[in-house]
Amino acid sequence: MNKKIIEGLQILSISLIWLLFTGIAVWIVTLIRESLKLHDAPDASVGISIVAIPVFFLLASVLTYVFVGLRKGRKEHTER
Amino acid sequence: MEYASAEPHPEAALLRPIENPGKSFYYIVGILLVIILYTGFVYFRQLLYGLGVTGMAQPVTWGFYIINFVFFIGISHAGTLISAILRLSKAEWRRPITRMAEVITAIVLAIGGLHPIIDLGRPDRMMHLFYNGRLQSPLLWDVTSITAYFTASTVYLYIPMIPDIAILRDRGVQPRWLYEFLSWGWQGTEKQHKVLDRAMNILMVVVIPIAVSVHTIISYIFAMTVQPGWHSTIFGPYFVVGAIFSGIAAILVLMIVFRKVFRLEGYLKHIHFNYLSILLLIMSLIWFYFTFSEYLTGYYGHEPNEMRVFWYKFAGDFAPFFWAMIICNFFLPVALLCNSRTRTIPGILIASISVMIGMWLERLIIVVPSLANPRLPYPTGIYIPSHTEWMLFLGGVSVFVLGYMVFARFFPVISIWEIQEGRHESAKAVNERIRSYMPDPEPTSAAE
Amino acid sequence: MKWGMVIDLQKCTGCGECAAACKLENNVAIVAHKESEMGRTMLWMDMLTIYEGEYPRLRVRQIPRPCMHCDHPPCTKVCPVRATYINEEGIVAQIYPQCIGCRYCMAACPYTVKSFNWYKPSFPPGMARTTNPDVSVRPVGVVEKCTFCIHRLQIAREQAKSEARDLRENDYQPACGASCPTGAIVFGDLENANHQVNRLAHNPRATKLLEDLGTEPKVIYLKEVD
Repeated sequence: MNKKIIEGLQILSISLIWLLFTGIAVWIVTLIRESLKLHDAPDASVGISIVAIPVFFLLASVLTYVFVGLRKGRKEHTER
Repeated sequence: MEYASAEPHPEAALLRPIENPGKSFYYIVGILLVIILYTGFVYFRQLLYGLGVTGMAQPVTWGFYIINFVFFIGISHAGTLISAILRLSKAEWRRPITRMAEVITAIVLAIGGLHPIIDLGRPDRMMHLFYNGRLQSPLLWDVTSITAYFTASTVYLYIPMIPDIAILRDRGVQPRWLYEFLSWGWQGTEKQHKVLDRAMNILMVVVIPIAVSVHTIISYIFAMTVQPGWHSTIFGPYFVVGAIFSGIAAILVLMIVFRKVFRLEGYLKHIHFNYLSILLLIMSLIWFYFTFSEYLTGYYGHEPNEMRVFWYKFAGDFAPFFWAMIICNFFLPVALLCNSRTRTIPGILIASISVMIGMWLERLIIVVPSLANPRLPYPTGIYIPSHTEWMLFLGGVSVFVLGYMVFARFFPVISIWEIQEGRHESAKAVNERIRSYMPDPEPTSAAE
Repeated sequence: MKWGMVIDLQKCTGCGECAAACKLENNVAIVAHKESEMGRTMLWMDMLTIYEGEYPRLRVRQIPRPCMHCDHPPCTKVCPVRATYINEEGIVAQIYPQCIGCRYCMAACPYTVKSFNWYKPSFPPGMARTTNPDVSVRPVGVVEKCTFCIHRLQIAREQAKSEARDLRENDYQPACGASCPTGAIVFGDLENANHQVNRLAHNPRATKLLEDLGTEPKVIYLKEVD
């Protein structure tokens, strides 16, 4: 298959991962706001869920780091 | 089949399942697909008529689906966790095991995560969780933690696999575009190795707390209620221990099957089984310790409702399951694994299968008896799962087998590059490491 | 305002009229015999059988058991979608269109008062056309339970408003209380000193079921004295 298409797909997948994780973060924030509004046992559950947000972003960052790093680490094209 | 590069690879045995899957692969896939299709039909019936087609009733309102949910997530546990711990502790014997273990996690977690949805009376309203979710419900914590664990373990499976995908790409294995896409231009340069190493180091550290949190939170579903037999502070670690225990058993079973099917005797040696089975033995002892303290505190406290559940398990309707669990999880594996004469591959296989059965029974014993003994005097019956529930259990197992087979068809289940790295570099690295552990030589007397 | 119920076991004969009235009032599905044998009977107001003493002095009692409408309900805390919640007047209500049917609330309820629609609710021939129009018939796959006939409160409140007066004690009575032949079930506002329940709740005979769990039920039983 065409190299360009594959490259496009790769960049697309990275953006999708970021989109997904941002979506999850937005969802958790909405839940926290909702629970504060409804006065649900907020402290414990809010604490637990706030921890989840950076975890997702860390995962996305690691993936991006790998993808960008691998691209940068390639040999010069003339070498091949 | 003709491949671009036909020269034999030094680790040819690992590439065989991908390059030459053989006919039996397709037969088994066919059989599994038939089972899965039938399961789909059974589930469709449940969608159509409602949860009435199951054996659940009042007061036992949770049955097989929740039991299997806890069980599958438990199995999924060991994979990533064990792999991360072995990698972190630089255990050299990990090399052929890590990938296999990680794949279990990814596949079983997906199956386990689906179970609460199967259990819903109104799966069509599942989206309510997203726009009307309530954070104070432990079920919501589960949704978050399982999502986190699933993504983390998939990433953790994928990133160390990139060099292997590149090997397949360079050998011209079909479908080429897939390997091209997934290998991200890996060429094995020093810089790329550095990036990969760093990413793996971060992931190893991140994945361990996530894994522990997942099963702790699953136990919270039960522990956060006030029901007798569930409302226990020990439940979090108890579930985590049980999860790792059953997970190691699952890894061992899979290793034995793969060794047999793909003739990997050269890679999965007796020493690997020996080390892992000792780990299984230790987990069995820890599991027994937890079970013992859990029930002894309940028994000594002698709270009447707690005691009803206690006797229901020890001498009531659930006694056969309870004692079978103790035998399967403790006496049998300990007896087999303590003795080096029975710690052979067949012995380990029997112990592992027994642990998997025992751990499934443990989930049954946690979920059902507490529900079957309500505090107020209600007429109660015994929970008998229906055909639908059995079928969905079998279907879940089939999806796992199929998932694993498809994975093994396209990707090497033993990390090729890590084995090669082990061959070339680790002897030197280990030597150096050992030298660094040793006390420095005494300074010569002249210095005094 | 805090709605509550007092059940005087001295007056209760265990006839089960309350359970029948509740079932008709709230369109609670009538399940087939086979299903009922499995333990899928749906009763918002159930009759608990209580055995007291041993054989020669054995006493069997039937006592009515509605939802306790706890002040600290264990069920609302675990609902992942807020399909059950406690309103400002202390009624633990259900929102059927919101329920996803996870049955967590059923597992968490220490009184086991909730019922689940295992199948689409069914009624014997003819009865389907006589359902109470004030109460929705539940769909398949949701959890339901006693609501203290909250629809009657809504109607009574509208009525009082249209007549430009305050809500009177007798305006809002759930079906069980209204039907009790011996007047054993008394319903009203626990915080209103003029209501009968307020006085009865402080009766020395007053007890609550499983009080030690700290759920603070708003259904109060008056013990028998003999």
